[in-house]
Amino acid sequence: MTITRRTALGAALAAPLIGRANAQAAPVIVGTWGGDYGELLASNIDVPILRPAGVEVQQDVGPQDPRKTKLIAERQSRRGTMDICCLSDVDMYSMAQQDVFEPITQAQVPNLAHAIPTLKRPYSAPHIYSAKVILYNPAKIPVAPKGYADLWDPKYRGRVGLVDILYLANTEAAALVGGGSETNWGPAKGKLMELRRNDVKLYPSNEALAAALKSEEVWMTIMWLARGFMWKKAGIPVTHAVPEEGATSITFEMSVPKNSRNKEGAMKYLNAALDPRAQAGFADRMGYAPTVTNATLPPELAAQITLNPAQQAKLRTPDYAYTAAHTAEYLDFWNKEFKG
Amino acid sequence: MAALILPAGLLVLLLLVAPMAMLFRISLNEYSPTQLMLEALQPGNYLRALADPYYQGVMGTTMTVALSCTVICLIIGFPAAWWLARMDSKQKSLAVILTVFPLLVGNVVRSAGWMALLGRDGAINATLRGLGIINEPLQLLYTQGAVIVGIVAVVAPYMILTLSAVIEGIPRNLEEAAANLGASPLVAFRRVVLPLAVPGVVAGSVLVFILCMNAYATPVLLGGPQFKMMAPAVYDQFVRGTNWPFGAALAFILLVVTLALTVLGSAVVGRRYKAQ
Repeated sequence: MTITRRTALGAALAAPLIGRANAQAAPVIVGTWGGDYGELLASNIDVPILRPAGVEVQQDVGPQDPRKTKLIAERQSRRGTMDICCLSDVDMYSMAQQDVFEPITQAQVPNLAHAIPTLKRPYSAPHIYSAKVILYNPAKIPVAPKGYADLWDPKYRGRVGLVDILYLANTEAAALVGGGSETNWGPAKGKLMELRRNDVKLYPSNEALAAALKSEEVWMTIMWLARGFMWKKAGIPVTHAVPEEGATSITFEMSVPKNSRNKEGAMKYLNAALDPRAQAGFADRMGYAPTVTNATLPPELAAQITLNPAQQAKLRTPDYAYTAAHTAEYLDFWNKEFKG
Repeated sequence: MAALILPAGLLVLLLLVAPMAMLFRISLNEYSPTQLMLEALQPGNYLRALADPYYQGVMGTTMTVALSCTVICLIIGFPAAWWLARMDSKQKSLAVILTVFPLLVGNVVRSAGWMALLGRDGAINATLRGLGIINEPLQLLYTQGAVIVGIVAVVAPYMILTLSAVIEGIPRNLEEAAANLGASPLVAFRRVVLPLAVPGVVAGSVLVFILCMNAYATPVLLGGPQFKMMAPAVYDQFVRGTNWPFGAALAFILLVVTLALTVLGSAVVGRRYKAQ
């Protein structure tokens, strides 16, 4: 056969199609945070577990809020741009209310059998979790705080820092101090205004708060245990205290949008994410606890990032329905009254 | 000949007018925490935004910052533009590149620089403390002043380049003639150069004012959590509160106020210029 210009052109045009037919399937597109989280997904899930199984993964890296906006904007379209969507539990619930996710069952994701029962949801798989605690500077506050209420102590005037974007977590803690609960944030309003009068410092991001803790501008904050673990490793002078009001859990979840173009690959991805081998990697580097009972951590690490049985028994789970219904109201309060 | 604007016109229609029309439609919908929004045709979002003292305050801050930045840009930009316009052609291209230089760096990166400079442990505070002038660090970051300084640094090149293009068109011999007739440089500037440069002043101010009204990254990064301008407030509603209808209404209010102030400002300055 002689290669003419026409056959060469034909071959060139057909090449991409042949390539597509040869590939097992399209890659799984994972909408995720970047940084450590994205890197750990790649090094603990994508490369060691999924690649040998012939599943390729591509990350669509970005912050959580734009990802939510993307989910909503693509809701009506038949072909979405994500196969896996990573969100924190509260946001995952509110998005699930928009009916954008496939149901997740043990038949499709066998490793769900080992997931901690209280973390399971019908619309997502729990990936990692941590608890909301108090972080404080032990050099400045020699006696460990007992509960969130200690942040309101006038002797720490001007020394308490909070992160603006964690307004829901901060609101819930204030509600508990005021005698409220996960289904009653009413008392938070008065308590937050009290904190404001006590000259609480507000930072736009976790990183800005970390810098303020490091320079000892502030001594105490409300934060996830996992982040406290990472900050401690990074040389920031903090240690944690589990609040007597009960720590509240935060779970980072993964779900499959209804308009995913590779649902089969997505379910394999969820199963790999719950694999005990993959889970341990997140504990060591990011301080998040495994969501499956068959993943074991070295005891020394476990002591730093998990709660003891007594604290575990008091662990609170957010009431997602209440949170979703009241977010707009309390965001308004946070912006207009507390910050205003 | 009119057909020449067809490609650009179509592009604008497709990429600007159509999305704006969609956004306007969304602004008339009703917010629902569970279903995102409900189809409706009601002005509630606009009424709520206009009646709420909080958003009135946010709009007030936005206008104050935008006006301050425009005036500051005009004051520092005019001499620089005049100098640029009257420069020899050899050094001029270098000077133009230097003027545009700040625009080569992204807004976020530039703001990070300001944060390093203005922060509690930043360069300014460290220097003042080192010299023993202050004991406690000054609150420089997360203030309105920081935002104004940050925005001026971004938009000043637009003002300078616009003004200098217009000043270049004013024949140099008019200034010489004024001097010949006994006008001091100040009088020559006030009575000859400035009136002739008014079109540039209007164009530069309009450009800068619009950019300032819509500033996002600088207010967020340098203003901190307690400082709010309209563009970040719009983003907040869309992304944090997932309240698209209210966010869309805020966006349109910002658009209309910016447009109205721009038209009003141009008309007032233009009338004065004609009167002279």
